[in-house]
Amino acid sequence: MAEVVKKSIDQATIEMIAKAKTDECNIVFDRAETTKACPIGAEGSCCSMCAMGPCRVPLPRGKEETPEDKKKRRGVCGATAETIAARNFVRKIAAGTAAHSDHGRRVVSAFLDLAKGKTPGYQIKDEQKLLQLALDMGIKIGDRSNEEIAIELGETLIREFGKQEGELAFLKRAPLKRQELWRKLGVAPRGIDREVVEAMHRTHMGVDQDYQSLLLQGSRTALADGWGGSMIATDLQDIMFGTPSPVASQINLGVLKEDEVNVIIHGHEPQLAEMLAVMSRDPEIVAYAKSKGAKGVNLAGMCCTANEVLMRHGIPIAGNFLQQELSIVTGALEAMVVDVQCIMQSLVSVAQCYHTKIITTDPRAKMEGAMHIEFDDHHAAEGAKAILRVAIDNFPNRKKNVYIPPQKTDLIAGFSHETINYLLGGLFRASYRPLNDNIINGRIRGVAGVVGCSNARVTHDEVQLTMVKELIKNDVLVLQTGCAAMASAKAGLMVPEAASQYAGEGLASVCEAVGIPPVLHMGACIDNSRILIAATAMVKDGGLGDDISDLPVAGAAPEWMSEKAIAIGQYFVASGVFTVFGVTWPTMGSKEVTNYMFKDFEKIYGGMWAFEPDPIKAAQLMIAHIDKKRKALGIDKSRERVLYDMTMRRQLEGA
Amino acid sequence: MQYKTEKKAAPGRGEVEVLSATYEEGKPEGEDAGRWRQKLQSREDKLKYLQTAERYWYGKEWFGSEKRKTPA
Ligand code: SF4
Repeated sequence: MAEVVKKSIDQATIEMIAKAKTDECNIVFDRAETTKACPIGAEGSCCSMCAMGPCRVPLPRGKEETPEDKKKRRGVCGATAETIAARNFVRKIAAGTAAHSDHGRRVVSAFLDLAKGKTPGYQIKDEQKLLQLALDMGIKIGDRSNEEIAIELGETLIREFGKQEGELAFLKRAPLKRQELWRKLGVAPRGIDREVVEAMHRTHMGVDQDYQSLLLQGSRTALADGWGGSMIATDLQDIMFGTPSPVASQINLGVLKEDEVNVIIHGHEPQLAEMLAVMSRDPEIVAYAKSKGAKGVNLAGMCCTANEVLMRHGIPIAGNFLQQELSIVTGALEAMVVDVQCIMQSLVSVAQCYHTKIITTDPRAKMEGAMHIEFDDHHAAEGAKAILRVAIDNFPNRKKNVYIPPQKTDLIAGFSHETINYLLGGLFRASYRPLNDNIINGRIRGVAGVVGCSNARVTHDEVQLTMVKELIKNDVLVLQTGCAAMASAKAGLMVPEAASQYAGEGLASVCEAVGIPPVLHMGACIDNSRILIAATAMVKDGGLGDDISDLPVAGAAPEWMSEKAIAIGQYFVASGVFTVFGVTWPTMGSKEVTNYMFKDFEKIYGGMWAFEPDPIKAAQLMIAHIDKKRKALGIDKSRERVLYDMTMRRQLEGA
Repeated sequence: MQYKTEKKAAPGRGEVEVLSATYEEGKPEGEDAGRWRQKLQSREDKLKYLQTAERYWYGKEWFGSEKRKTPA
């Protein structure tokens, strides 16, 4: 058991790992033990970009590299360890950007279909956000119908993907100084697809062979994700499904129900999940479930789709990335419905140990051995019902080995930028001023974004939880997205009461006054774009410098695993944020490239990368950076406001 | 929104009618509990809200810390 305990700190996960062992079901935690990570690939020193290789150019182990050794560290074509590490890194950025942006493209096309009345199941839920985007894109509002505005908006935004010249429209939302810097450096993205294609071209064998030049294209590509593909996806989803507002729900495997048909929606794009949320309550579906002996249909989320439907409907979350197989191991899951990204291929073999149906729904993501029911937005309700019927039909097939761990925790989610602005100031004076004031007076030391995945190479949830607790204890307000957010939610950090229990005195007093938790759930991974906007609002409100790089803020992905995390990290760094990653760092094979990203980037972007697998040390690095920024702003000593009486006033005037 | 009034004793003026606390009755529950954007009904209200609440981007008279009237 002690060996299992180390794999996670989450009790439900620990219990399900033990159950998988009893049921002789091979899961990710087992494979992480038997399949060791390749040390050469891990440090970015393996190049497989042509058929003269793969060439492996690792750093010598156990001794300092001599200049002669270094000269020999080249691929057959002559590529240096620097070029190889940078190319590998930029390809990760390109893949991450492509994933987020293809999600964005799919959202725009669903949005256009909605506007043209081709998808009867969906409607414009947030007119205000529609108007906001119309203002952004210079689209005439007047007394045009929402649909007319939406068609023009969708057609304008779809062009952002294929644009060849100029720059992405949403860059204009960034602080003015940041925009100027991007233009000066030549990293303002022109079109989303163009930057991904150019990154792939420049990293092809024999093209860009200067690591600094390669990393500039890495920044331009990543910015096309954060201020492009991801931001478009977030904003249009808000228009279609509603901008998140505070909502209460629960999280962990204990949200599954023994007497209901359990369906988990797993992946990233919310269109299907939205419809499943509605249809799971449809009287016809509920009656059908009852006819099979269940009390109803219990829909729960997994990974980022979970965050999408949690933020907008309060649908409970069954768990984060490393718990996807474990939800099947409960033996109580009738169907796992998946779309794109972060879906483990092993789901099919785990499902074979139980009765679960794995249903793929997206033509871009099929799995051998899974059932495929293609989801079509044009017939969304029928599609969702067909999927739910498959799950209901599977309810009588449950085997005897059912055990749902009891753990589930309350949480409050739904902290979009708009909601934070509203909560801080109210409907008539919405503002970031109270946040800035409390940073200036020192009650809040700074703000940190702790985002990313979970990773079987480290103790599940422990790294992020330790980091987040250390940050809030030191009065740093934490903003979270993705699977990282779920780790905090499971541990009870996302309820207002957590402020008095875990946060430092200053942060707790502000949280109690506003009525918010010390750790705010801002959504799915694409919603890291919300954090960019929140940081920009802090800059624009004033008093904390005139660029994101002036703010006392920092970012981290302590349990990252996906290429999308690298893209996110790079757009935060290129937007001026100090960003610390844990687990492993993929350019360690080149000291020059690593130093360039960890040190020289600060002079270029005002933000830089760091690698620190120890969560306490990583949090301390973030706090030290926040303190450095506070000092530069002249707010390093907390100052309470002094109320001048007449004597003091006279003294002041006489001085 | 319907404004409410209440009667209060005022020194030397007897009983006067004053504006009382105005808030929505009841406690929202379920999915609707935290929903605040629905309070803005008309397009005019929504545009006005953008100009004030999201003045950082849409306010015409407000330039915040950046203090520049011409875009970069
Ligand atoms: S591109 Fe160069 S380093 Fe890469 S595999 Fe080919 S020969 Fe080796």
